[in-house]
Amino acid sequence: MAKVARQVVEQAGIDVNVLLDKLLRAAGAEFTTFYYYTILRVNSIGFDGEGIKEIIEDARIEDRNHFEALTPRIYELGGALPRDIRQFADIAGCPDAYLPADPRNMSAMLAVLVEAERCAVRTYTDICNMTFGKDHRTYDLALAILHEEIEHEAWFSEYLSEGPSGHFRRGSPGTSPYVRRFMSAEIG
Amino acid sequence: MALWKLARAAEIPPGQTRFVWAGEAAVLLVNYRGAIYALSGICPHRNNPLEGAVLWEHLVDCPYHHFQYDVRTGENHFPKNVYPEDMPQLEQQVRPLRSYRVEVKEGDVWVDLG
Repeated sequence: MAKVARQVVEQAGIDVNVLLDKLLRAAGAEFTTFYYYTILRVNSIGFDGEGIKEIIEDARIEDRNHFEALTPRIYELGGALPRDIRQFADIAGCPDAYLPADPRNMSAMLAVLVEAERCAVRTYTDICNMTFGKDHRTYDLALAILHEEIEHEAWFSEYLSEGPSGHFRRGSPGTSPYVRRFMSAEIG
Repeated sequence: MALWKLARAAEIPPGQTRFVWAGEAAVLLVNYRGAIYALSGICPHRNNPLEGAVLWEHLVDCPYHHFQYDVRTGENHFPKNVYPEDMPQLEQQVRPLRSYRVEVKEGDVWVDLG
């Protein structure tokens, strides 16, 4: 734990235990989403599926990056990941992103993906609102993750023809352009 | 019929929620487009209180796992809309929130808790 780092957050008026609960739930959601997106990506095949496979992979790896970026902040603030991974999955802050009953139905697949990203956008907006102007480090991290979650939502939303997002980035999947500066290891 | 006066209508502006207790019953009051709705204040997913729940259009969002319910009916919207139909064991997670009849009289919000 970083003693003063926690104290300054407390003195700014944040209930650190509440914040830690939100960060743990967010980390749990990233971890479980990484798992479920692996299944979704594997099943993204055929004329329709191959087109979205790389974007699923991008979101999958970036969600894993989010988990890795969140974890040090949890420990800095005096928190810890649950010792039992089942407990970690149970506290995940977003519902499980299950493979649709018909895995070849790409519209159903995209609905799962876009709803998962929308849940993430709400999660990090909540953390940003809580920490803005008070806990600069958590805010900076949550904002970086929020940028990437919003882009994920926009990509999947565009595949559902809900309207253009106006941005585009492609290269190798999982580069985390906003979050990478919080990562201590190589990414991708 | 058991009518409880749970708030002043002015305490719940449009787009806001208010978590209250009526005896041992947790109740979530919601102002959606000027109409007050009352729902059970406990999310049936994991029995967490809906205190601090946020309203997104007509959907109230549980702060714990972001399960969403239609304030007009109490029905689960998300994740019911994406849960696979071949996993019926998940239906237990997406039970509706109980909804209560509301009367607003002279600025007071009265809820019929049955």
